[in-house]
Amino acid sequence: MVDLAQNTIDGLMIGSSYGLLALGFTVIFGVMRRLNLSYGPSIMIGAYLGTFLYIQQGAGPLAVAGAVVVGSVLAGVYVERLCFAPMKAGAAIASMVSSFAIWMQLEQAAILVLPRHTYPFPPLSTALPLEFGPFLLRVDHLMMLACAVLLAFAVHGVLYRTRYGLGLRAIIGNPVAAHLVGIPVRRSVLIAFAGASAIGGVAGFLVLAVDQQVTPMFGMWATLKGLVAMMIGGLGSIPGALLGGLLLGVVEAQSQWYFGPQIRDLVAYLVLFAFLVMRPGGLLGEAPKVEIALPQGT
Amino acid sequence: MDEYLVGVLSNVGVISFVALSAYLLLLTGEITFGQQAFFAIGAYAAGIATAMWGWTLAAGLGFGALAGALSATIVGVPTLRLHGLYFAIATLAFAEMVRILFEMFRYQIEIDGEWVGPNGADGFRDIRYIFENDISGMEFMLIIYGLLTVILAGFMLLERSRLGVIFRMIGEDEVLAGLQGVSVARYRILAAAIAGALAGIGGGLYAHLTTYIEPRIFDVMLGVHSLAYGLIGGLGTALGPILGVLIDIGLLESIRALSGYRMIIFGGLVALLLIVRPRGLLDERLVHRIGVALRGGRKMRV
Repeated sequence: MVDLAQNTIDGLMIGSSYGLLALGFTVIFGVMRRLNLSYGPSIMIGAYLGTFLYIQQGAGPLAVAGAVVVGSVLAGVYVERLCFAPMKAGAAIASMVSSFAIWMQLEQAAILVLPRHTYPFPPLSTALPLEFGPFLLRVDHLMMLACAVLLAFAVHGVLYRTRYGLGLRAIIGNPVAAHLVGIPVRRSVLIAFAGASAIGGVAGFLVLAVDQQVTPMFGMWATLKGLVAMMIGGLGSIPGALLGGLLLGVVEAQSQWYFGPQIRDLVAYLVLFAFLVMRPGGLLGEAPKVEIALPQGT
Repeated sequence: MDEYLVGVLSNVGVISFVALSAYLLLLTGEITFGQQAFFAIGAYAAGIATAMWGWTLAAGLGFGALAGALSATIVGVPTLRLHGLYFAIATLAFAEMVRILFEMFRYQIEIDGEWVGPNGADGFRDIRYIFENDISGMEFMLIIYGLLTVILAGFMLLERSRLGVIFRMIGEDEVLAGLQGVSVARYRILAAAIAGALAGIGGGLYAHLTTYIEPRIFDVMLGVHSLAYGLIGGLGTALGPILGVLIDIGLLESIRALSGYRMIIFGGLVALLLIVRPRGLLDERLVHRIGVALRGGRKMRV
């Protein structure tokens, strides 16, 4: 029982980082209706920038965090300008494939600058874990969970309490109508993209600070975890992204504890597949009515 | 032809199968990140058949195709209701499950004092059929391109047949196709099965070409690449995906000198290409124009 509860706690903590990744992903997908495969690799650019400063200049955790976020945003804006902004309506698959090509590009650029397989990353907190009866709680895990919840509320607040958010929701509803009533569509979309990348950057920094190391696999890892958590939570739902991440974290922690890492990954994909087949809307998203996203056309 | 060129071309030919597999599903309007699963299943099935059961190459490849088609049908049924991103991610989840299962799959028998067969994450070594039967690299390349030609001819026939029209119709608008009396579910499963078989044959050829397969080859990267080839080469004709593979593998091989920078250059080129030609080099419009020109100018057929 203690194991089960401790695994659940650990899973929730790790899951909060998946939730954060999914949050950025869902904002991009919600606004664009297109899949940005370069989401993880953009964060990787930020992560490598932060690592570079840490190794070369001995930068502290806060400076590194700033660098990761700035790097992610710059890479994210680059992706938006190259893969999404110039594409015509209906060229959703082209955008997706283009973002995949840029994924390869970003990854190689990062590896060129820091070619080793692993690099150290500054820890967020070296404090001893807190003890609650038989349970242990890592301080950096708690900070991660707090960040995830705060950012989810912040995104929700921006979307539903600000004029900018109102405009963005109008664009999500109908971009042509939004343009006709004078909403600056392109600029709003770019800002949303940059914001989502910044959230991804925060997520990336927290994950790496907990692991205390960076590898070239990080970009792919971030894209996959964000994507899986987003789909489990329900496409387009902000609380869903967070819940999906937490659920994924708990499922992974439990199956890892009882069956080992291979079965952990198997179970995670099985849960995703089962959700898609039986409940495509995920935990909180709406079930797709007819054709959602990625339409055909020239 | 020197050995290096034969190697590169054989590779292009084999990867073309999985690219064509993803292309066929694109015709019916579905994006898939999971065709590498059937490529893997075909590779393992064909490898087991020839290296462990002593089957001939043809029987092994047939078995690989059958295994690919069957597994694609089985996964096609529950994913029938899914579209767009939902379908794409479901295929990705399935393919990753297949990859992980192969990491745990152990099935070995003793042949002449050596243990042969899939050994989990360590892979499946010594699929030596083409060495044991004195098939040269050149001959095997001809086998690959022979099969590819047959399949291309099949695609050409498909484009002119009722079945091809139905596939593109479902791709354009599934609801409308249903209203026209097309049994959408049946044809989508048929398309999935054919695509599975194509990937399965390709996998079988791949296993015999490299003599060694391991689960990690069949990861998401291969799946997304297979999809991307169609988009780069063009969605107007089955030659498109093959052109895509040729550009990717051929170009990357030829700019080896720039080793450290090649993905930077190639990734950028693809992104720029897709801005100018969002449906690839050989898109429907260009293919149509070429077709009209070949038929002698103005005779337009609708």
